[in-house]
Amino acid sequence: MSGTTTRLWRLTRKELRETLRDRRTMLTLVVMPLLVYPLLSMALNRFLLSTSAAVGQGYLVGVATEAESTVLQSILNDERSQPPSEIADASDGAVADFQVAVTEPITVAEALISNQLDIGAVVSVATSGRRQIEVIAYAGDDASLSARRVLIERLQWLKLRESIELVSRLEPEFPFFEVQSTLIGEEAEESLLASVLPLVLVLMTITGAVYPAIDLTAGERERGTMEALMASPVPRGAVLVAKYIAVVFVAMLTAVVNLVAMTVTLSLTGLWSLLVGTDGSVGVLSMIQVLGILVLFSGFFSAVLLSLTSFAKSFKEAQAYLIPVMLLSLGPAMLSLMPGMTLSGPMAVTPLINIVLLAQGILSGDELDVAGAMLAIVSTIAYASAALALAAKLFGSDAVTRSGEASIGSLLQRPRYGTPVPTATEAGLLVALLLPVSFVVSNGLTQWVSAEQQTPQITLQLIANAIGLVLAFGFVPFALTWFSRHQWTATFRLRRAKWSFFAGASIVALGGWAFAHELVVIADQLGLATLREDQLERTRAVLEKWKQVSPILLLATLAFTPAVIEELCFRGFLFSAFRSRLSPVQTVVITSLLFGAFHVFVGSTLLIERFLPTTLLGLILGFVAWRSGSVWPGMWLHFLHNALLELVARYHESFEFLAEGYETSGHLPWSWLASAGCCVVIGLVVIRITTQAKDVPIDQSA
Amino acid sequence: MLAIEHLTKRFLLEASPKRDKASENGDGQTVLAVDDLSFEVAPRQVYGLLGPNGAGKTTTLRMILGLLAPDSGSARVGDVETAVDSVAAKSKLGFVSANDGVYPWLTVREMLLYFADLYAVPPGVANDQLSHLAEVMEIETLLDRRAGSLSTGQRQRVTLVRGLIHDPPVMLLDEPTLGLDVVGVQTVFRYIDHLRSAGKAVVVCTHRLDEAQRLCDRFGLLHRGRLQHEGTMTELQTQTGREHLVDMFVDLLDGASKGTSTAASSAELSASGSSTGELAADGLAEASS
Repeated sequence: MSGTTTRLWRLTRKELRETLRDRRTMLTLVVMPLLVYPLLSMALNRFLLSTSAAVGQGYLVGVATEAESTVLQSILNDERSQPPSEIADASDGAVADFQVAVTEPITVAEALISNQLDIGAVVSVATSGRRQIEVIAYAGDDASLSARRVLIERLQWLKLRESIELVSRLEPEFPFFEVQSTLIGEEAEESLLASVLPLVLVLMTITGAVYPAIDLTAGERERGTMEALMASPVPRGAVLVAKYIAVVFVAMLTAVVNLVAMTVTLSLTGLWSLLVGTDGSVGVLSMIQVLGILVLFSGFFSAVLLSLTSFAKSFKEAQAYLIPVMLLSLGPAMLSLMPGMTLSGPMAVTPLINIVLLAQGILSGDELDVAGAMLAIVSTIAYASAALALAAKLFGSDAVTRSGEASIGSLLQRPRYGTPVPTATEAGLLVALLLPVSFVVSNGLTQWVSAEQQTPQITLQLIANAIGLVLAFGFVPFALTWFSRHQWTATFRLRRAKWSFFAGASIVALGGWAFAHELVVIADQLGLATLREDQLERTRAVLEKWKQVSPILLLATLAFTPAVIEELCFRGFLFSAFRSRLSPVQTVVITSLLFGAFHVFVGSTLLIERFLPTTLLGLILGFVAWRSGSVWPGMWLHFLHNALLELVARYHESFEFLAEGYETSGHLPWSWLASAGCCVVIGLVVIRITTQAKDVPIDQSA
Repeated sequence: MLAIEHLTKRFLLEASPKRDKASENGDGQTVLAVDDLSFEVAPRQVYGLLGPNGAGKTTTLRMILGLLAPDSGSARVGDVETAVDSVAAKSKLGFVSANDGVYPWLTVREMLLYFADLYAVPPGVANDQLSHLAEVMEIETLLDRRAGSLSTGQRQRVTLVRGLIHDPPVMLLDEPTLGLDVVGVQTVFRYIDHLRSAGKAVVVCTHRLDEAQRLCDRFGLLHRGRLQHEGTMTELQTQTGREHLVDMFVDLLDGASKGTSTAASSAELSASGSSTGELAADGLAEASS
C-alpha cells in the first residue's frame, strides 16, 4: 500500500512542479492579488469617503457675510433644531454637525463650485418681518446633497418646535399625539463577511483551478505528451488523481494568497473594521472554518473543471468549455445570497448552492442544521467523485479513438459492446446519481401523499415508500445496466445458489433481528444516536398504526420490496462493479458502508442511529453474497430479517409474557440474546463451509 | 517476441448521414484501416513497416499498444495478448513517435524519472538506467536543463531515451526521423543499432524508404491497410523483380490508382496523388496522431 502511496506522491509532485513552475500559474497566483486588491480598496475607499465620512466630521456650510453667519449659528445652536431623541436613537446617535464659514469676498455659489464648502446658505438677517433661508447645494456631489437634506431637516425641526410652543400657548388643550418607539425581536446580525465571503471564495477557487486544470489535461495533448502517457501501463485513474490533488492544491493556494492579500490591504487602508464589524478581529476558529470550506470548494470545482478539460483537445477548446461553467456557477452562488434560502430540503443536495449556503451558515455563527450540513458535504463529495470518475473515463480517450469520433455527445451514446459487469467508475456514478434521485423521489412522494390526504393513511404511506424505493434504487441501476449493455445475470449476480446457503441465511435471520434491536438500544444509551423523545413518540405512533394494517401489506412494502430492490442494487450492481477492481473483503466493506450511509438519509431527516445496525447487516449480507456468488441467498436473508423485525413490532404484546423486564430497560433478556447469538454463528458457519455450486465460478474476476 | 496475427480494424466514415444504420449493416460506410495484417518480429530484429501516409501504420501501432481494440485478430507481446491484458503488454512495450513532446517546465531528469514511475520502475533501478542511457544517447549535459529549452535534436534524443527508460523487450518507433536534420537522423540510426545489439525486437514505421533500406532486417510493405509484400530485402527483390524499395512502391501505387503519376524520382512517397476516397479516409485516421 505504501508503495502505491509514494508513487502517487511522486506522480503528484510532477504535476505540481509542472504547474507551479509555469509563469502563467504564478500570474494568477501572486501578481493578480498584489495588483487587484490595492486597486479595489482604493476604489472602495473613494466610494466610502464620499458617502459616509462626513457623518463623523460634520458638514461645512458657507454664508456670504458675518451677520448671516451669526443668525445661522444661533439657529443651529438652538437645542430645538436637533431631532427628537427618538430619531437620534433610531439612527444610532449619528447626527451630522455643521460648521459655519464666511465666504467673503467671493459668493457662496463660487465657494461651493470650487469645492470649499459642502453646502451654502443665504439667510435674511432682518429680525422682523418674513425671515427666509435659502439652501444652495451642488447637484453633482453626494455629500452636498445629503448636507442639504440634513440642514433642511434641522430647520424644519426648529420650525415644528416653535409651532408647537405657539399652539400650546394659544390652546393648551390641543391634543398632540406623543410618539414613542420600542424594539422587539433580536437584532439582525447582517454580517457582510458571512454573506459575501463564500462568493469571493467561489470566485477565487475557480480562478485558481482553471489554469492548472486546463494545463494538466488539455495541455498534455497540446504538448504532445498524451500519447506517451497513454502508452504507459499506469491506470488513467492514478494519473488523474495526481492531477486532481495538484489542481486542488493550486486552487487552495490561490485562495489563501488572495485572502491574505485582501486582509492585508483592507486592514492597511482601515476598511477591514468597516466590513467585518466593530471589533474587527477574526478568531482562529473562523480561520479554520474558512480553510475547511476552502477544501470543500476547491475539491468540488477542481473535479468539475477536470472532467470538462479532460475532454478538450486544446487549450482553446478547454477555455470554451470552462467559461460558460464559470458564468453558470456564479448564478447559483448569487442565488444563495437571497434571504430566506436555507440549507434544507432540495437546497441541501443542489450542487454549489449547498456548499455556499453551508459556508454562509458556518461564517454567520448561527446554529447549523446538522442534517443539512451533512447532506451538503456528503452530496458534494459524491458529485466530486462522480466528476473525477468521469474525468478518468474521458482523459486521453481521444488519443485512443479517432479524433473526430469523440464529442461531448458521444458520452451519452450507448456503447456498441458492453462489458459483462459494470466498472468501479460506474459504481461511483450510480452512488452520485442515487443520492439526489432518492432524495427527490422520496421527498416528492411524501409531498404528494400529504397533498392527497389531510391525515395521511398508513397504507398510502407504506405504498409510497415502496414505490420510492423501486424508482430510485431499482430504476437507476437497471437503467445504467441497460444503457451500458452489461450482462444482466453477471451485473445483478442472478446465479443459482446451493440450498444450504438459503438454510444458513434463514438461521442467521432467526437471530439477527435481536442484535439489530440491541444495537439501537445501546446506541441510545451511549448517547450516540439521536433518539429524542419526540422521535420515540413518533415511532410508537407508527407502531400503533402498523397494527391496523394487514400483515401482508406490511411484509410486501417493508420486507419484500426492500429485500429485492436493495439487494439487487447493493449486493448486485454495486457488488459486481466494485469486485471488478477490489478484493472480496474491500468489496463487502465498501458496499455495506454505502448500504448504511443510504439508510441514514431518509427524507429530509438524519437517522444516524440506523447507520451502525444497517452497516452490520450489510456486512453479513455482503459476506453471504460473496460466499454464495449469488444475490438470492442474501435477498432471502434480508427479507426474513425485515419480516421478523416487523412482525415482532406488530405483535410484540403477544410476546410480552416471554420477556419480563423488557419494557423497563429496553434490553432483551440474556437468554434471548444467547440463543440469537447461537443462531447467527451457526448460520454463518454453514455459509462459510458451503462451497459454491460446480457450474458457478468461485468469483468471476478473481 | 512480437507476433501480429490477422489484425483488422474498420473505422466508421464520419461524413455518412446514415452512420448508425450503416455500421449495423456493415456495408460500404466503413473504411478498412488495417486489413488482415500478420507478421512477426524476433529479438535482435528490426522490422520496417513501410507505407505512404495513411497506409495504416499508426493504426497498427496503436492496436499493438492496446490503445485501440482490433475488430479481429490479435497482437501478442511475448505471451501477453495486448487486447486482453493491456497493462502487462504496455509495460513490455516502448513507444516513441515523431510527434512526442516534452513537459517544458520539468528538467530532463525529472521528466524521464516521471516516465519511469509511470512504468513502475523502482527509483533505484530508474536512476541506473537513466545514467546508462544518458551516456549512450549523449544527453548527460542536458539532464538538469528545462525540457522546454532544448533544441529539436536534443528533444528527439531525450524522447528516444524516454521510450527505453523501462528497458522494454519490444520497441515501437513511429516515424522516428521526421523533421530531423542529418545529425539527428544519424543519432536515430545509432539508437536503432543500440536497440538491435541490446536484443530488442524493433518495429520502425516510416515512409522514408531510403532510410528503411539501410536500417531494417525485414520489411513489410503496407498499402491501403494490406501487407502487399513481406520479407528480407533479397526475398522482396525476388517477389517483385525490382531492386529498390522505391520502385516496388511505385508499382504498388500505379496498380492501385491507374493513370496517376507518382514522383518516382523522390524517395519519399505520398498518397496525395491518389484519387481514391479510401486512402483519403485512411489519412483521417492517421491525422489524429
